[in-house]
Amino acid sequence: MAEVAPGATTARVTLSPAAVTRLDTCARTFLTLVLIFLLRRVGWHHIHAATALDPAGRGWLIAGNAQAGKSTTTALLASRGWQVGTDDVAFLAPARERVAAVAYHAPLALRPAAYHLLGAPGGVFSPERRKIACWPEELGGRWVPRIHPDVLLFPSVGDGRTSAAPIRARDTLAELVRWSAWVMLEPDLAQEHLDLLTRLARQARSYRVTVGRDLFARPTRLAELVG
Amino acid sequence: MTLRYKRHPELRLSELEGEGVVLHLGTRRYFTLSESGLAMLEALAAPRSVDDLVQLLRGRYEVTAERAAEDVHEFLDRCREADLLVVDGEP
Repeated sequence: MAEVAPGATTARVTLSPAAVTRLDTCARTFLTLVLIFLLRRVGWHHIHAATALDPAGRGWLIAGNAQAGKSTTTALLASRGWQVGTDDVAFLAPARERVAAVAYHAPLALRPAAYHLLGAPGGVFSPERRKIACWPEELGGRWVPRIHPDVLLFPSVGDGRTSAAPIRARDTLAELVRWSAWVMLEPDLAQEHLDLLTRLARQARSYRVTVGRDLFARPTRLAELVG
Repeated sequence: MTLRYKRHPELRLSELEGEGVVLHLGTRRYFTLSESGLAMLEALAAPRSVDDLVQLLRGRYEVTAERAAEDVHEFLDRCREADLLVVDGEP
């Protein structure tokens, strides 16, 4: 249970004894929800996305659902020395001139097939999630807590070669709304949240990407495709 | 009596490169808007009749009254389907 006073930016969380025995699960689900709820009160808005910083210093935000290939792509980029922030949960924060995407340090969650294709050392298998948790550092990358997105990707997994197609501005904004769905939940914060998504859509180039298996051999193809 | 429409109070709008996105916080659906759709929905912050919207379009685009009226009716139909409008004066 989480108690939040009106206007407060802290929560009092009470866990049942049963929940304490499954703290990892609680942290991933319930406590993340509490965090999302509280951070909205200081202007940070959740987005279901991965973040990375390429060797040229460009920020990448990769938004999509659990089957979109975010984690695999993030792990591949980490294996090529990119800095990565998260493969799943990021917070959009208003910076002075640009929108930032902030992440906390957590392992990337890879499906067994992707993990084996990656040939990564290390990692811890979670039977409950049926995924292997790998820290960015185990994959050869470094963790980066904050990026300013220059590139937005909306991926899906396909059978062919990896490809990318630019998206027009309003469709980018619609995609950001889709993956930052809390924008719908609290009327008092909705316009602020929508305005932040709009700023992000303005600041970055956006692409719909179909991720193919060729990316395992050439993860840098993503950077080549978007120029 | 001439019907006047307003946009639903639970809508939130954003403009981007002349086009837009509208959120309906009540239905939790969202829609993309063309340039003319955005202009009409922005105008519908205040009560507007069909004629008002026709005038709005004719003021912005080189378009005949008939074509503008068709566009307005089509837009209003789609907005009604998505519950984006209320009729002014109705509770």
